[in-house]
Amino acid sequence: MGLPNASEDLSSEMEVDAFRRLFPLRYFERHLTESIRPDARPLRKARDTTIALGAVASADGSALAKIGSTTMLAAIKMEVMTPSLESPDEGCIAIDFHMPPICSPIVRPGRPAEVAPVLSKQLSDTITSSGMINLKELSLVSGKAAWMAYLDIYCLDADGALFDAALLSAVASFSHLQIPVVSLDYDGKIVIMSEEQKEENSETKPVNKEKRKLTLSTIPFSLTCILHKSYILADPTAEEESIMETLVTVVLDSSGQLVSLYKPGGSVLVYTSAVQDCVALTRQRVKELQNILDDAISGMEID
Amino acid sequence: MAAKPGTASTTYSPVDPTHKTKPSIFTDSDWVRPDSRGFQQCRPAFFRTGAVNSASGSAYAEFGNTKVIVSVFGPRESKKAMMYSDVGRLNCNVSYTTFATHVRGQGSDNKEFSSMLHKALEGAIILESFPKTTVDVFALVLESGGSDLPVVISCASLALADAGIMMYDLVTSVSVSCLGKNLLIDPILEEESCQDGSLMIACMPSRYEVTQLTVTGELSAPNLSEAMQLCLDACAKLAQIMRSCLKEAASAAEE
Amino acid sequence: MEIDRADGRTPNQLRPLSCSRNILHRAHGSASWSQGDTKVLAAVYGPKAGTKKNENPEKACIEVIWKPKTGQIGKPEREFEMILKRTLQSICILTVNPNTTTSIIVQVVHDDGALLPCAINAACAALVDAGIPMKHLAVAICCCVADTGYVILDPTKLEEQKMKAFAYLVFPNSILSVLPEVSSPAKGEPVEHGIITSITHGAMSVDDYFLCLERGRAASAKLSDFLRRSLQSQFSGNSSKAG
Repeated sequence: MGLPNASEDLSSEMEVDAFRRLFPLRYFERHLTESIRPDARPLRKARDTTIALGAVASADGSALAKIGSTTMLAAIKMEVMTPSLESPDEGCIAIDFHMPPICSPIVRPGRPAEVAPVLSKQLSDTITSSGMINLKELSLVSGKAAWMAYLDIYCLDADGALFDAALLSAVASFSHLQIPVVSLDYDGKIVIMSEEQKEENSETKPVNKEKRKLTLSTIPFSLTCILHKSYILADPTAEEESIMETLVTVVLDSSGQLVSLYKPGGSVLVYTSAVQDCVALTRQRVKELQNILDDAISGMEID
Repeated sequence: MAAKPGTASTTYSPVDPTHKTKPSIFTDSDWVRPDSRGFQQCRPAFFRTGAVNSASGSAYAEFGNTKVIVSVFGPRESKKAMMYSDVGRLNCNVSYTTFATHVRGQGSDNKEFSSMLHKALEGAIILESFPKTTVDVFALVLESGGSDLPVVISCASLALADAGIMMYDLVTSVSVSCLGKNLLIDPILEEESCQDGSLMIACMPSRYEVTQLTVTGELSAPNLSEAMQLCLDACAKLAQIMRSCLKEAASAAEE
Repeated sequence: MEIDRADGRTPNQLRPLSCSRNILHRAHGSASWSQGDTKVLAAVYGPKAGTKKNENPEKACIEVIWKPKTGQIGKPEREFEMILKRTLQSICILTVNPNTTTSIIVQVVHDDGALLPCAINAACAALVDAGIPMKHLAVAICCCVADTGYVILDPTKLEEQKMKAFAYLVFPNSILSVLPEVSSPAKGEPVEHGIITSITHGAMSVDDYFLCLERGRAASAKLSDFLRRSLQSQFSGNSSKAG
């Protein structure tokens, strides 16, 4: 913005890479006027998205989600807790989002990224308010024992739209979750039942024979968009996020309810029409993501 | 609802009571390894470079259930507080995910492994080629299935090669566990937990030079020399796999 | 259909507002803002030289420190800090003081619902008090949606807990421009209709959200007037500070 004329003149002589580094905003705006992005995407198209279920063998449920090169690994470990007095029939979910130093040049060991706790909070808010999981299904013995589902999401590669990828991996790992069959032992502790015990009908009875999978009622999916002037760019990369600062994240669930509309500041104001556009884009994206998730699940069942 | 920090410690992981007693087969004279490998047979190794796009170089390694990702950043500006240095600096960090082990851990940094990784790589990197700057090698153990450190070391040297950092040779590393009379190469977690002693070698196979050698526990002198030879042979084979992985990546990039 | 509010307010009625500025002597600027029983104190220090790591030194850096009423700072507070920081960044003119840091310390005095909007309003008044260059003011409001799709404004803590969803919205304060309209806003909508920040909790239908927007906007006009009046009266009241 500082030297618009100077950069205009230079752009014809300078190498593309140098121009991209020196005048990133102008570089992007030149693309935007042609309705294309530097990675050859149309403005409102999301990157290729894949889900792989069961990526972590040591966890009870896990998923690897990739949006472009942004990669998230989510895994759930089930532990037993004593439910609180107010809600004796409910389990609990603890969500933590980690950005290890491998994921981005900005994160250094010992100094966790600023956004990590914020994203953790956003993710657990979204999953709680979507009502996707009925906490009653996590109950084992009323008032005595219930499941605590520890969901840990690791960002392996950070290239923009972190929340979208993290939410997708979280949702996918819940749909992959297989709750172990457990029984109550004589000390009142919950123990895992071995294969032989299940078959030989011993006096120890499983406490959760039917409740092996969670019923996910409405699944939330999200789309992050960049607003720049009157342009809307869906699913930004890290480079785009660093240059154009106004981000809007819309979360819709599979029944079309608005779970979250998140816009923390940013230099561009959103008007009603832009909100409507973002919501419409998210609607399309929810369908895409739902299909990708369904494919991943049916792919697992065949195996 | 998210857990309050106070409640986290009151949960426990349900255990399988039948697994409490360790199988005694390890002490018997003839037994097979849990994954039915031969005593001197490594797990199938899988390597891939370029796993993390935002890093200058990266690699993913999978040995059975041991899964590791390593990113290399730099050479980049050293910390402000650092003194001027004619040679480059190497900074290593190894951390575990919370779900890496069977019982949910804290996912903290592993200081011991970090410094071991540093020592294993330091001798192989031509530090003179990047004065004043720092190369950061960060490893994340996604899943721990035994022989974690050797896998991290091999994977890190592949990531360094991917980042184009100058090295004298690739560093490969293999460990051997001693159980009773037997020497087991590339042990898995179960075997490591009941070993009597172990030996780990990190070496540069083409130069036939060892960068790090660690012996822990009980190993008789003849066993020690046998174990060393086993490791060195396995390291040479591992280097071939890693080299072919790099070649494949390079030829794929050309196309 | 109608909801009786415990304090007898109509759905669109805000709680009594009060704002006082220049209440701390050491800070470069300070303000306290209360909406009913929710009260927040904000202090501004700066601009100080230098920016933090990973910040753009070509612009002024804004730092927000959230002090809860009791206890330690956790994830919710970190989120509040980040939202406040991004919101304030968007209303301040950052190019006037490049390579400087302005710290805003937000102390919660009492939380009785709509805490974040109250904090944003307080921080905004404190920035004015410190004389930090700003594009325009911002006004924040909380809208709640009940199960029946009924919208109430500025909820108390009790009301917040009973509702199925709520939205924190931040709108720009209308500009009384001395210049003729140079940059007319997009699509014929006035500037004050744009949203600076939107945070929602709980699931609601898309239409409910637009209803919230509409109600929030209407109420923000009242808030804007109050903010402007309280800033003006105090400026004329203690001109020594301004000089």
